[in-house]
Amino acid sequence: MTAVLAATIFATVTAGVYLAMSRDVFRCVIGLALLGAAANLVLFAAGRLVSPLPAVVPVGEILLTDAANPLPQALVLTAIVIGFALVCYSLVLLLRLMRDARTDDALALRYAEPRPDDPVKPPASAADCDVAWPPEDRA
Amino acid sequence: MAAVTEDRRGGLGWVERGLFTALPTLALGLVVWKLALLELPLSVSWSWVPALGIDLAFRVDGLSALMLLMITGVGTAVFVYAGGYLAGHPGLRRLYVLLSLFMLAMIGCVTADHLVVLFMFWEATSVLSFLLVGFDHERTDSRKSAQQALMITGTGGLALLGGFIMLGQASGTYVISEIVDVLPSLAATPELTAALVLILIGAFTKSAQFPFHFWLPNAMAAPTPVSAYLHSATMVKLGVYLLARLDPGFGEWPLWEWGLKGAGSITAAWGMVLALRERDLKRILAWSTVATLGTLVTLVGLRGEGATVAVGTLLLAHALYKAPLFFVAGNIDHGTGTRVIDHLGNLRHAMPWTAAAALLAGASMAGMPLSFGYVVKDVILEAKSAGDVFAFAKAANTVFGAVAVAVAGVAAVRVFWRHPGVNETCEAHEGGPALVAPPLLLALAGITLGTFPFFAQELIAGATGAMTPDAEAVAFSLALEFGPALLSLLATFAVGVVVYLLWDPLHARFERAARRVGRIGMAAQFERALSWIPRSAAASTRALQTGRLPAYVALAAGTIVIALAAALVADWPSLYWPSADGWPGGGPVGACALIVFGAVAAVLQRDRLVLLLAAGLVGYGSGLLFLFTGAPDVAYTQFTVETVFVIVVASVLLALNRQHRAAGLAEPLWRPGAFMLAVGFGAAVTALLLVATAGSFDTALSQFFAERSVPDAYGRNVVNVILVDFRALDTLGEITVVLLSLIAAVPLLQALRPARDKGDGA
Repeated sequence: MTAVLAATIFATVTAGVYLAMSRDVFRCVIGLALLGAAANLVLFAAGRLVSPLPAVVPVGEILLTDAANPLPQALVLTAIVIGFALVCYSLVLLLRLMRDARTDDALALRYAEPRPDDPVKPPASAADCDVAWPPEDRA
Repeated sequence: MAAVTEDRRGGLGWVERGLFTALPTLALGLVVWKLALLELPLSVSWSWVPALGIDLAFRVDGLSALMLLMITGVGTAVFVYAGGYLAGHPGLRRLYVLLSLFMLAMIGCVTADHLVVLFMFWEATSVLSFLLVGFDHERTDSRKSAQQALMITGTGGLALLGGFIMLGQASGTYVISEIVDVLPSLAATPELTAALVLILIGAFTKSAQFPFHFWLPNAMAAPTPVSAYLHSATMVKLGVYLLARLDPGFGEWPLWEWGLKGAGSITAAWGMVLALRERDLKRILAWSTVATLGTLVTLVGLRGEGATVAVGTLLLAHALYKAPLFFVAGNIDHGTGTRVIDHLGNLRHAMPWTAAAALLAGASMAGMPLSFGYVVKDVILEAKSAGDVFAFAKAANTVFGAVAVAVAGVAAVRVFWRHPGVNETCEAHEGGPALVAPPLLLALAGITLGTFPFFAQELIAGATGAMTPDAEAVAFSLALEFGPALLSLLATFAVGVVVYLLWDPLHARFERAARRVGRIGMAAQFERALSWIPRSAAASTRALQTGRLPAYVALAAGTIVIALAAALVADWPSLYWPSADGWPGGGPVGACALIVFGAVAAVLQRDRLVLLLAAGLVGYGSGLLFLFTGAPDVAYTQFTVETVFVIVVASVLLALNRQHRAAGLAEPLWRPGAFMLAVGFGAAVTALLLVATAGSFDTALSQFFAERSVPDAYGRNVVNVILVDFRALDTLGEITVVLLSLIAAVPLLQALRPARDKGDGA
């Protein structure tokens, strides 16, 4: 079971990081979502898969015996919801970004980068400063 | 006339000046009174940070007493002088406050008996010296000099802190008097050697020793009272003081001995040579101060009681002649408006009192008989003939002695009498009593001690006793002797007079030579190093801030991969991997297959809708996996969230469709570099997980929840009990996060609304 789970986590993490390094900002956000799912799986696996039985105390008993570890489940449950909020907020940012910048290419997003005439920090290469400045000009 | 507040010109009234001047005077009186009454050493200690073993420990022994007398004595003269020198200056009150604080820091420094307390006061003197050198903060060169002094002494302070901590750890105590006792019995470990080197750097920067000597002459941008106080009598002597304080502990170490002798000799010779380069009286005096500090450091490095007697005597003598000479330079500046010796001459008619003070102080500096300087020469001669002095130190001392005579001649004779060359003197005038009395009194004190050396006998004996605690009683007597010392003095004096007479031609020579040296000199190297900081910062910023967002992600991911891989490789031999366990049932395997399929499909898809569905497969697969592994609550949450997520993204896609951006960007799906990095990241995370789960599992917490769920919280679903009872605060935080993201998203979404219809996003 460990090997199967490890392979699954490997595939998900790899796909998430690969997508996050994409030029397409939409793919970046999806990469973030995949990384979140992978993180949940890591958390879950770290708590050991000891039993397929849910962590519910049977009626009439006081102690929980021979059941899945409840602690990682509680943590993963919290993580799922927070990851969902994070990705949704990223999507909203993405929508706004695409509308204002009129591009979904990460390489074209250069507003926060130094201006071509910056005395201290000129752009790394002349080709980098083909974006009009200031950004208001593009709206 | 009794103006307590600032007068019209912006200066201080005499009452406030008197009150400020009373501070060092009272301190001086207190020091003299206590020294006369009490038996040294005195120690007091208060607990300060007991958890770190730091006590406010103070200890006054003979060496501290000598320093205290100099600090408060010269301090009194400086406070009186400053009132006259900067009369009417709007910043006089600031100067007095800074000088008072500085005096306090100095007193703390020379009485502290705990390394951390000493360091604290040491840093305070650095910072206050920065503020005092930059007193005329409207002037660029003043600010630059202050910055340079702070950079060098501050860097030295950092080295000193490191050295102190290593020294304290190695010797097991931070109390200085105990360290000095313990040190000789310790073996020369690498840590102790490193501590020694760091402490040497700290002391050398403070006392302007080669190669950190160049900041001191530049610090002459300070007003004259500050130069007289900080850069002749007190602060620059702190390095010497620290070395002398630790000398009983480190004295036997070859590195210590040769470091002190080498750096001190080079500084002494080099300082004197550079004094010949200058035309500004104050800078000439500054270089001779550098040379004197070098001689002091050399003497500390020498073995034998004679050397320690010489250290104590020279410390005192230098304070008594260099401070008056600085005052004289200030008076000349005040009376004529210039300090350049080319424009000065024949001043004795206009400034008779200043001339008298200059002559008395100059006689002491030149080491003329009946001055304290002569006693010093005598003692140094004895120290060097007793100790094993290498030839360079002897040569350095000869250069030092001869040029000291010449410098004294320039400061005391040349500017006050007629000399060949230009003698034009604009309207010079003598300053008031506040400008004349301090140099005269200090110089007279030097002459008095020179004529009756036994006055200083007990003081010097106390200081010597503190520096050589092993000696039962240091057998020496300060007395007027006209023996072989006089002969050797005559020789030095003759050379000095020749140098004095040839000052101008020698200056021209040195100026030409030094211009060449200037480009490769330490000051130029320092400037180069400073200008390198912003340039390298700009270069590294450009290298890291490429402006490509994927590159930033790659940089972060790459750093994490390297850190994780390094941790794994470092612990490789002690790691063990999980053994193969049984093949799971079809359910979990199917769920995992679904996840992997979704992940791979997401990478391969360019169409945004399919990409979204693929990502959804990963979520639903995870939910299925949770369902099969005993976590139905997590599974239901995952299904719900995933469904809402797909709805949200679908509406986002609709919005993108309106922007005609439903199709993905036409970038290559196969990017080898990114793929390698992603595989590395996945491998590192997976390896970490495998290694972590192979270890033993601490079930204490899970066990607690399993046992206490029903009795304490009356809930049978343990996961739910944890969420809403045991860890309720976590859940509250989770709800807050979701709400906050909603609050942040609403205005962003509202801005999108005007595009005709509603229903964008969540």
